[in-house]
Amino acid sequence: MNVTQDLSFIHLIENASVLVQLVMGLLLLVSLMSWWYIFLKMFAVRLAVKQSEDFEESFWNNSDLIKLYQSTTAARGDAGSMGRIFVAGFAEFVKLKKKQGMDNSAVMEGTRRAMRATYQREMDNLESHLSFLATVGSVSPYVGLFGTVWGIMNAFRGLSNVGQATLAHVAPGIAEALVATAMGLFAAIPAVVAYNRYAHDVTRLSSRFESFMEEFSNVLQRQS
Amino acid sequence: MSAAVYDEPYKLPAGALALAVHGAFFALLYFGISWQALPPQGMVVDIWDSLPEMKSDPAKVVPPEAEQAEPPKPVEPQKLAEPVQPIVPPKADIELTKKKKPKAKPVEIRKPAELKKSVELKNPPVEQKKITEAEKAQQAAQAEQERVHAEQAAAIGRVVDEHRARIVAKIRRNIVMPPDVPDNARAEFDVTLLPGGSVLSAKLTKPSGKEAYDSAVERAIFKAQPLPLPSDVALFNKFRELHLIFSPRE
Repeated sequence: MNVTQDLSFIHLIENASVLVQLVMGLLLLVSLMSWWYIFLKMFAVRLAVKQSEDFEESFWNNSDLIKLYQSTTAARGDAGSMGRIFVAGFAEFVKLKKKQGMDNSAVMEGTRRAMRATYQREMDNLESHLSFLATVGSVSPYVGLFGTVWGIMNAFRGLSNVGQATLAHVAPGIAEALVATAMGLFAAIPAVVAYNRYAHDVTRLSSRFESFMEEFSNVLQRQS
Repeated sequence: MSAAVYDEPYKLPAGALALAVHGAFFALLYFGISWQALPPQGMVVDIWDSLPEMKSDPAKVVPPEAEQAEPPKPVEPQKLAEPVQPIVPPKADIELTKKKKPKAKPVEIRKPAELKKSVELKNPPVEQKKITEAEKAQQAAQAEQERVHAEQAAAIGRVVDEHRARIVAKIRRNIVMPPDVPDNARAEFDVTLLPGGSVLSAKLTKPSGKEAYDSAVERAIFKAQPLPLPSDVALFNKFRELHLIFSPRE
């Protein structure tokens, strides 16, 4: 080993053992995916919040439910989750109303069920990919640590052949190995932060949807 | 609900942003760590110390060429003088033929002179070149020898350093550390070794201020016998007198 070790970043990765390189590649892939999901989720949550606000505003300002129903179904893709819950509930309510001999409470029960089904679907869509972020956040440090431990094991095994152990013999191997931990942490930290943030946002959205469902049910009950 | 409703509209921007984040991170890592790699580059300079001598040698080769351009000139007259002598016999021939063709004389005499001039012009540069090439080769050989010497010296220095470090490490292993030794204590010893690695004497040249530590180091020096010496006996001279410094830190 030379005294003049090139400790530049690329050199460190090039000199690492195959397994450590594999771990680094895996972590890079995972990190790329998690950042993709982070941005995807960021846009999706922001859009959902904005659409819900818009819809709530138009819902409370618009006394004519049929007109609101028509405009919402016309703009189906842009209506947002709350709009879709409203459409499902109102359509079910109208259908049940047309049937003769239906109890009022049974009509409300059916409407609620329809809204809840849509609500579940919406929540499922909003929560998608969050589990991936959680997994990345909890697992990738361990993967990085595995790469590091393996690299350090190799470094020390190489050391056993050298009589006089100096820091210069161990340092490059350990530096190589620690790159894996750095990458693991780089993948994990944003994933954990994003998971917590989006989980919180989604919970707030879900409580917002639920309160909207209750309020909408009351409005329908009053009209029936 | 149709799948189109849940279609993510921001897939591409999100992907681009993710790539941008990674690009920024790796740029940071790359420049950050290459900045930290500068101190080792400073150590590269130590090794290049031997090479500049090589570079300076070719540099020396160049000025000699300029100097040699002058010395060969004295060589030319000698060679001129020699060719001039053969000119005489032709003259004699010409003298013999004078009676027959007197007018031809001056022409023939001039011709050899001109020829010789041209010969002078052609030959000397070739010889100059030969001389400079030979000297170049000599200097190159010298440079190589010096380089080989430097390499050998470097190799010896490496072995000496390594064994010095081993000696210090072995002694340090044998130190029974007394309590309450301050970290900055520094005991310096002059150790005289015998071939084979046994210690002839260990003299305290600079006490650490903590007597317990000084005596502990002294005991460790004798306890660590035989000290590890290089297998090359010729190198023992470098180990006969050792000045060792011990400090509880490190």
